[in-house]
Amino acid sequence: MSAALDSTVPNGRDFRMGLAAKVSRNTLRLRVVSVFLSFIAVAVVFSLTTPNFLTLQNMKIIAFNAALLTIVACAEAMVVLTRNLDVSVGSVIGLAGYVAAKFAAAFPSSGPLIVIVAVAIGLALGLLNGLAVSYGRVPSIVATLGTLSIFRGITYIIGHGIEVPSGDLPKWMIRGADATVFGVPLIVLLALAVVFVLNQLLRNVPLFRRVYAVGSNPAAAVFYGLRSNRVVLFAYAVAGALVGLAAFLYVSRVGTVTVNLGRDWEMIALAAVVLGGVSTTGGSGNLFGVLFGALILSSIDNGLVLAHAPEFWRMFIQGTAIVAAIALDAGIERRIQKMFRHKG
Amino acid sequence: MKKTIALAVALSLVAGSVFASGGAESSSSAKKYRIFMNPKFTGLSYFEVCANGAKEAAKELGVDFVYTGSEQADVQLQVQSLENIVSQKPDAIIVSAIDLNAVAPPLVKAMAKGIKVISYDADTAANARDFFCNQMSYEGAARAMLDCALLNAPEGGELAFIAASPTSPNHMAHIKIMTELCQTEAKYKMFKPVSTQFAGDDEAKSIEVSINLMQAYPNLRGIISSSAVSAPAAARAIQSAGKVGKVFATGVALPSSIRSYLKDGSQKAFFIWDPAMLGYMSVYVAKASLDGTLKNVVGSKVKAGKLGEFTVGKDGEIVYGKPLIFTPQNIDEYKF
Amino acid sequence: MDAIRINVNKHRWELILLGLIAVAAAWATQLSPYYLESGQLFNSSRNFVFTGIMALGLMTVIVTGEMDLSLPSILAVCTVLLAKASAASVPLPLAVIGIFLVAACLGAVNGLLVAKMRLPALAVTLGTMGAFRGVAFIIGSEVGYTGFSDSYKYLGGTLIGETEIPLMLPVFFIVVVLFVVVLHFTTFGRRVYAIGNNANAVAYSGISVAGTKVTAYVLSALTAALGAWIFVGQYGSARGDNANGVILAVITSVVLGGVDINGGKGNVLGVLFSILFLWTLRNGMGLANIAGPIQQLIIGALLIAAVLVSNFAVSFRTSVK
Repeated sequence: MSAALDSTVPNGRDFRMGLAAKVSRNTLRLRVVSVFLSFIAVAVVFSLTTPNFLTLQNMKIIAFNAALLTIVACAEAMVVLTRNLDVSVGSVIGLAGYVAAKFAAAFPSSGPLIVIVAVAIGLALGLLNGLAVSYGRVPSIVATLGTLSIFRGITYIIGHGIEVPSGDLPKWMIRGADATVFGVPLIVLLALAVVFVLNQLLRNVPLFRRVYAVGSNPAAAVFYGLRSNRVVLFAYAVAGALVGLAAFLYVSRVGTVTVNLGRDWEMIALAAVVLGGVSTTGGSGNLFGVLFGALILSSIDNGLVLAHAPEFWRMFIQGTAIVAAIALDAGIERRIQKMFRHKG
Repeated sequence: MKKTIALAVALSLVAGSVFASGGAESSSSAKKYRIFMNPKFTGLSYFEVCANGAKEAAKELGVDFVYTGSEQADVQLQVQSLENIVSQKPDAIIVSAIDLNAVAPPLVKAMAKGIKVISYDADTAANARDFFCNQMSYEGAARAMLDCALLNAPEGGELAFIAASPTSPNHMAHIKIMTELCQTEAKYKMFKPVSTQFAGDDEAKSIEVSINLMQAYPNLRGIISSSAVSAPAAARAIQSAGKVGKVFATGVALPSSIRSYLKDGSQKAFFIWDPAMLGYMSVYVAKASLDGTLKNVVGSKVKAGKLGEFTVGKDGEIVYGKPLIFTPQNIDEYKF
Repeated sequence: MDAIRINVNKHRWELILLGLIAVAAAWATQLSPYYLESGQLFNSSRNFVFTGIMALGLMTVIVTGEMDLSLPSILAVCTVLLAKASAASVPLPLAVIGIFLVAACLGAVNGLLVAKMRLPALAVTLGTMGAFRGVAFIIGSEVGYTGFSDSYKYLGGTLIGETEIPLMLPVFFIVVVLFVVVLHFTTFGRRVYAIGNNANAVAYSGISVAGTKVTAYVLSALTAALGAWIFVGQYGSARGDNANGVILAVITSVVLGGVDINGGKGNVLGVLFSILFLWTLRNGMGLANIAGPIQQLIIGALLIAAVLVSNFAVSFRTSVK
């Protein structure tokens, strides 16, 4: 019974097959294209106005900075697709990262076990979030606001506020963070892998596609027989695991791990998600858009530094970019809805 | 209705009992002095080490000691935690200020109530404290850092500075003096300061800033930072960018933070004073001030336990003045 | 008897909060001998005034079913503008009118984006939060300003006459009364609740939904401006990063006050009690030198527990019936 349902679970907004399906698939691509074009626009502006922007070395830096953000943003996107939010992402990075760092310092020869520890903690925290939101029926912004404080508090209690110096971490972690494959930073490849794999999963595997369904029309999803509680829980769990992975990478990157690790990441992750065309009303969005959203943010950051612009212009430009992106996105959506109305 | 109230009360009581043990550390006995120490923020090893030294001094002197502060480098949070401290009627407050002016109001109020205020590590506005325990005279610190720079790059080159914020008096003073020295003294003339950036004592921010600096100034030779957070972060950034040997990092850092960089040869020299002894000294100064044996007069002397005697300078500044320069050769001698 | 019972049920949440305040106060007294002292209480109450005022403004927006994350950023814009005005020796009344106008404009921008252009409020105010914060930094620069003239600092920095009561405290209560009147006794207030419950129905009845929402945003922006005026006197300094991160505390106050995050439900009294409760809790924990993250943890847990309890108390009652 459920197998039959799975094969007809629609992708995103189209509940009518055929032309409507084609149209909306294309508009998803249209959105990604528009984010991509915005990224190109930003890159062009900066390469014209600042020296050193368009160099290979600089591109590597932009990609590197965007890589970690991309992974976290993909996690956030999973949750946003279900029409929910997760503002505890920063605290999950903190807790998972801190515990993984302490673990690594205590058992330096445990190798890949450290990664598993980080991912497992992220997964567990994500499950907690998901339980509160789905079965606990706590509105996601309230639930994750609460867990933001709770997870950060736990990090503090575990650490007694003391940092873990980078010298205590096993060498391979630090080296690995800086490693490159044919000149491309390893972390960048990892981020790309996450985007590709997750996107494919979301498009083709029924378990993941339900995320779109639940987000775009929760009521209809229930009528279809989808157990939205489980889907939401699943989305939060996957998100948590991804954030755990990102935490491990972040710790390798940063070296010295303080109790404040990851603070404020939720805002930037949400910004990348929103910039990437993922709708906060749920049910639509493409992870490649998120990738370009992260690239846009990273480029703006980098470009402003190269242009010797004072740092606070960054906030203003990022904020305005988000508003512009949302407006553009809404405009596109309205055009689609108009088309649907005409097609009858 | 009754059930919900009962639930609410139960929840509060549970929360209360769990954390009742986390209450005030100090008992208020009538005779003993109570001294509170408020760092810029907790969670930084540097301040923890200062506190350890302070606790040692407190034990020797028989005073009650409480170490408390906010866990983030936030100006408003520090003001609030200072007001909190004042409400607990301490005898003396020892404080390291994030922003020298912003913390002045609660401290001035404290002084008006007869509480002695001693600043350490990062000074407050001069009218908001009785004494300032300066780890190194600003000039001494500036020279020490430039000497470390020389150890790394005797031929000179472009330098960039990282400070916590424009309102950190010690960092800004160091930068100002270093810039002057680079222009006026032959010994340091080969260095050319090109930029000053701010990283708020934040680890990740410091890495980002350092990477950006290396991008924006392709010929950059060195990054110097007075912040014990930023100097190791710069070293990490240099390693990450693959510029070991081309760019060096130096400045103030705890031995534990930069041990690995000195050992693998990527960096050559850092400098600090013993933070535990700075904390130790500040408690002795506080006690002497409370006893009335130390007056804010240039030339007054205070005996700080095992550290010996110190003299009061201009504006109530007491300089600890014992720098330590770490190199790969001597790093193993230091355990903190 | 029936009438009384109905009232009690309707205000169940507020009564629970009152009980919690009492419990918290008892706990705080037990935790620290310095708690129950009038000077201390009055002094620490100042920490909740400007966030409390913003909570009332945010409540208005939330009840209409929207969100505004940009309030602290609007406050920062106002504080740095006050700094510029003080430096230029602008007379205080002019400066205050100025920031209220600026805040109203910023609020209107939010309102237009959300109500007129129908953009999702959470995402859009995330953007304006950053944009306005950036503006605050651009105006204020990194250094900040501390040389406020005394007239500017008067509201936030003075005590009433010879007492220990800060001037901002009665101001806060006046604002509370104002909001009680506006939200519970005016047509505007009725519309706010109606829109939060069923925006379509309101639209069909010919009332401008967008107009009410824009007004709600402007109102909340004005609370940020008032908060800025108080802030400047309280801390004596203005910088681009003022009140950074305060939004979470403000949202917590609102939600803990029984306001439904999806709109349509909530009571000013509830928000007031929630502010008082959080103040008592924070004050007590602070005096006991409990570390910040642990304080946050307790409050976060309480927030979730509060919503969980209210969710399941309702279902328990209905299932029992």
